[in-house]
Amino acid sequence: MTAAHKVKITYCAECGYEPQTLDLARALMHEFGARLSSIELIPWEGGTFEVSVDGQLVHSMARNGGFPDHATIKDAVRARFSG
Amino acid sequence: MTIDRARFDQGLTYEAYKAQMTRNRERVEDNEQRIELGKEDVAAFRALPRPVKVLVLAEDWCGDVIANLPVLGRLAKDSGKLDVRIFLRDQNDDIMQRYLNKGQFKSIPVFVFFDEDFRELGHWIERPASVTEIRAKRRNEIFKTHPEFGSPDSPVDALPEEVRVRLQAELAKMREDTTKFANAEVVRELREIATRVAA
Repeated sequence: MTAAHKVKITYCAECGYEPQTLDLARALMHEFGARLSSIELIPWEGGTFEVSVDGQLVHSMARNGGFPDHATIKDAVRARFSG
Repeated sequence: MTIDRARFDQGLTYEAYKAQMTRNRERVEDNEQRIELGKEDVAAFRALPRPVKVLVLAEDWCGDVIANLPVLGRLAKDSGKLDVRIFLRDQNDDIMQRYLNKGQFKSIPVFVFFDEDFRELGHWIERPASVTEIRAKRRNEIFKTHPEFGSPDSPVDALPEEVRVRLQAELAKMREDTTKFANAEVVRELREIATRVAA
């Protein structure tokens, strides 16, 4: 049975991070198509931009600084496929 | 890069800035209406010997701008002693570079106070430290009171949706409860800078 892989992007809504959120979501859609079971976008606050793959935090603006490279997130997703 | 009269005059007035907002104008104007200025504070600004020029760096989307720019706007309106000009941060990086928060971060709003000869009286960035501190303390208390919210440092996406919604409501209430204190602190700090203007 194929495992369901989920990505969650939590972004600060009042900061206007929607473009970066949508760019990343679009990149993941194009790269992985139906191999991802869902991409959840969570509007939040406080300057947040966090990305988790299958519950594992792979990028946090507070921890890593800035927005993530799409390649980093794609690599994290690929690692889950092969894990 | 120096700020002189010609550059200062290129900025938007408070009303012109609001007119070009596309996203949060309503929130700014709502905050503007709700701010309660103390009589003594307004009197202190009215008593300034000469109008003070205030250069502002701002952007429509920033929460601290939405919260704190209206405080400056009301002080300017109620005192008649602050000449405010607003510059969009992302179109004025030369000014931004001069007023980086802790020398690294492009935090906004930035309020820079000048006398009539464009000598800087002081500047103010983002929000008062006391506000950051009290909100962090209250935030931690919320997490202590509600173990179901997990750790304050954990990603919120791990919470079940209904728990996340309750956390969001608690955080919004905490911000609302601390708004009066926050506005008073902004006024206190701005008053301290503006009143440095020589008699």
